[in-house]
Amino acid sequence: MARAAGGRDVIVASNLSRTFRRADKQTVTALDDVTFQIGRGQFVCLVGPSGCGKSTLLKLVAGLMLPSAGTLEVEGEAVTKPGPERGMVFQQDSVFPWLRVIDNVEYGLKCRGVGKDERRRSAEFYLERVGLSHVARAWPRELSGGMLKRVAVATVFANGANVLLLDEPFGAVDYVTKRNLHDVLLALWTEAGSDERRTVVFVTHDVDEALILADRILVMHSGRIVDDLAVEAPRPRTTDGLMEPTMVQHKHVLLAHLGLEDTAGAAGAPVSAGADP
Amino acid sequence: MKWLIAQLWRRRVSILVLFAMAGVWQILSTIFTAEAVPGEPMVPGWQIVFSRTLLSLSDYWRGGLGVASVAEGAPQSYLAAILSILDHSVDTIVRLYVGLLIGGLVGTLLGMAVSWSRWTRRIVDLPVQFLRTLPLLAMVPMFQLWFGIDFVGKIAFVGYGVGVIFFAGVVNAVKNVPQIYIDNARTLGASRLQIYRTVVLPAIFPEMRGTILLSLGIGWAAVLGAEYLGAQSGLGYIIIYSEQFAYLDRMFVVALIFVFYAAISYAIFDRLSRRLLRWTPQAGRVVAHG
Repeated sequence: MARAAGGRDVIVASNLSRTFRRADKQTVTALDDVTFQIGRGQFVCLVGPSGCGKSTLLKLVAGLMLPSAGTLEVEGEAVTKPGPERGMVFQQDSVFPWLRVIDNVEYGLKCRGVGKDERRRSAEFYLERVGLSHVARAWPRELSGGMLKRVAVATVFANGANVLLLDEPFGAVDYVTKRNLHDVLLALWTEAGSDERRTVVFVTHDVDEALILADRILVMHSGRIVDDLAVEAPRPRTTDGLMEPTMVQHKHVLLAHLGLEDTAGAAGAPVSAGADP
Repeated sequence: MKWLIAQLWRRRVSILVLFAMAGVWQILSTIFTAEAVPGEPMVPGWQIVFSRTLLSLSDYWRGGLGVASVAEGAPQSYLAAILSILDHSVDTIVRLYVGLLIGGLVGTLLGMAVSWSRWTRRIVDLPVQFLRTLPLLAMVPMFQLWFGIDFVGKIAFVGYGVGVIFFAGVVNAVKNVPQIYIDNARTLGASRLQIYRTVVLPAIFPEMRGTILLSLGIGWAAVLGAEYLGAQSGLGYIIIYSEQFAYLDRMFVVALIFVFYAAISYAIFDRLSRRLLRWTPQAGRVVAHG
């Protein structure tokens, strides 16, 4: 019930593990036997305390890292390397400082040999959509942190990725900027129409952010998925909407998972990951 | 004209220092009047440099352009002297810049090969690190014998001297490229070659600026070193020829010409790199006004 009706699964992970060898020769398990599916067009938030393995999971899906064990498929194909069909927005600033803003947005298209006019049109369209047409010719150093995030978002959308992976993208910006960025992201995501939407995996440790954005929230802890919540509140989600009883209940559950409340039981038993079709 | 005056006024302190240095030289020339051989002062004053010495450079004019050479029996002339300076300068500068270009290119490619893949690293790293430790100037005779005393030998020598510096600079600078940019390029669909061309190259350039300036200096030293042995033309050839006759004044003039060319090279590179580095946060930074 947490998956999108009708659409087949886009991301399928089975018994996925990833271990690291630390400099002191100890083996650390960042991801421990994780199994889950994510349906087409779903907006999934990965929530968990720092160090729970959510960024590792995202890097595996992006192909920036390979699993130690288990399998991971995107669109039915095993992930072995990064690809433009899986766009990533990073926590740090990833915009190339040596390219002007518009050339950044065009970058991926140019790499894949898309013609000059076509890629320029696409870049201009998405820059307009994120409200940055006026700085298209600026250098990234002239932009604020929030504007750089918009450039990064415009870049992955222009690049035509079907799966968007966002790794705490708005973690370093202030509250007002963050809310504006949510609106920008959701506007771009929803304008495609519900059957053509891109699949989004959004890593965050911010419970409110997850409740505003997600169709489904996967909760991680110590390298495992420990809960799987469906968030069925209508969009756009308003401040009032976040105070609806079901949303408040979700919030209690999430806070309990983060160790901030001990009332998880009151909100109903946590559902185990990937178990329910 | 107005612009020129403004520029000179802006640099008035530096210009004064320059004139002061010239003045000190002149004073030294009157204090130390020792001569290397009779008639050849150890410290030639400016009155000698701008008359006898300049004129004597026409000895190196090889003829042509309707101006007869001294070897053909013509008297020394300022015209022949100027043509001679230009002629030998062109030879030296061509050797320098062809060598710089080849050395810079090969050094950069080899430096990037170190990070390209595990296999290219294994193949390239050790041999080049080994080559790097060889003392440059002591290698001149070997290069002469291997590559000959003409054009190729000199270019090979300059290229080698500059190449190893570029190699070390690139290896180090590539290590400092933030991983985030490479990850970003990969997820946007860039191939490895594209990443090197569009991410690594621009990202290392700010750090390479210092390396390039250093290699300009080494390049001048290397081309001179190469010309000391067996060259039939070039500014280094004039120096080594003058040394045999203890013509200290001619060596001094050639040294001044070098300083002039080096200053122009640095200025051009500075302009160029400023344009290429418009994107850096440091562009136009001033630490403190005043």
